[in-house]
Amino acid sequence: MKRTLFGLALAGLLAGSPVSAHHSFAAEFDINKPVTLQGTVTKVEWVNPHVYVFVDVKDPSGKVTPWSLSSLGPAAARRAGVTRANFGQGQTVTINGYHAKDGSNFAFMRKMTFADGHSVELWLGDDEARK
Amino acid sequence: MKKMILAVALLLPASMAHAQAPADFNGIWGLAPLPPAVKPGQSVRWLLPLKGVDPNGTDVFKGLDRWQVDGRAAAPNKPEYKPELLAKVKELSDKQGVLDPAFYCKPQGVPRMGAPTQIVQTPGQVVFLYGANNLFRVIPTDGRPHRADADPSYMGDAIGRVEGDTLVVDVTNFNDDTWLGSDGYFHSEKMHVIERLTRKGDAITYQATVEDPDVLAKPWVQPARQLRLSTSKADALLEAPPCVEHDAPHIVTLDHH
Repeated sequence: MKRTLFGLALAGLLAGSPVSAHHSFAAEFDINKPVTLQGTVTKVEWVNPHVYVFVDVKDPSGKVTPWSLSSLGPAAARRAGVTRANFGQGQTVTINGYHAKDGSNFAFMRKMTFADGHSVELWLGDDEARK
Repeated sequence: MKKMILAVALLLPASMAHAQAPADFNGIWGLAPLPPAVKPGQSVRWLLPLKGVDPNGTDVFKGLDRWQVDGRAAAPNKPEYKPELLAKVKELSDKQGVLDPAFYCKPQGVPRMGAPTQIVQTPGQVVFLYGANNLFRVIPTDGRPHRADADPSYMGDAIGRVEGDTLVVDVTNFNDDTWLGSDGYFHSEKMHVIERLTRKGDAITYQATVEDPDVLAKPWVQPARQLRLSTSKADALLEAPPCVEHDAPHIVTLDHH
């Protein structure tokens, strides 16, 4: 696997930031319902206040189900060096995330892993607090 | 000859001396330098450090919310509302996740949108550019009064004047479709905002004062922000991505953020 870059810390870029206002993720996604999706990225929407990724997920029978995923904002991504080109448009990927509370085919994206093993991951938390 | 000029300068009133050498506000201000873009095919972790939160645990979203709420709670001063309106502020704050106008792509407006990221100053006007959301404000500084023919708006009607090293911007004629902050801080159409941008060396101090006698118990002075002048030739305002909201239909609880 290629070397992992650690993006810049984002402290202060969300809190009180005039860049874009956005709502609580807890109001929308269930941290107790992690999802793993495998599919093809059909569209990356590089918009405020959140970046959206659209994925066609194919089940073993060949049935295709479209999912969409929400991430943090494009400015926060760019400040970590992450751009639209890192989000795998047209590629087959595995996505780890958290399912929307309303049960729709919508999730918060935490990690996108590509066929060659490299990944783009949002790391929320404090490594010293790992259990 | 030199002596004569000095003598003339000393005879000028202070206000005229300022008028002859107005402070220069031109420049890109407060823009943080960006790191190089990660090459496609290279792994990257983007970090959002949340103190005390296990990155693999179940407190990640709660931690993200708490971080923002705690950050605002620690702010040095907050708008003070008339006692009879405190219940309304609390109700709006509790339902912030669905009621905050700025969450769903409406402009944050003045003063919540903060300081400009670029200022273009010409004789008779200054132009504020906001790189994060492709917004602009054209502010006359030629002594004209406020317009009488404009509809109330998100950023209001601004006129400016330079007083020594400070640009003073007086803003009226707001609509009431913006908040002053995320915690239910509504205002009326009678809001009056005075923005002060004071230049000292390569920095500007930006501070807004909000008067709204209909709702506030006293004027609210927003915490001042320091903006550094960008000196890199590589710095430039780029087109920001548009605001396109797909999350609203999926909000199912009133978690505060």
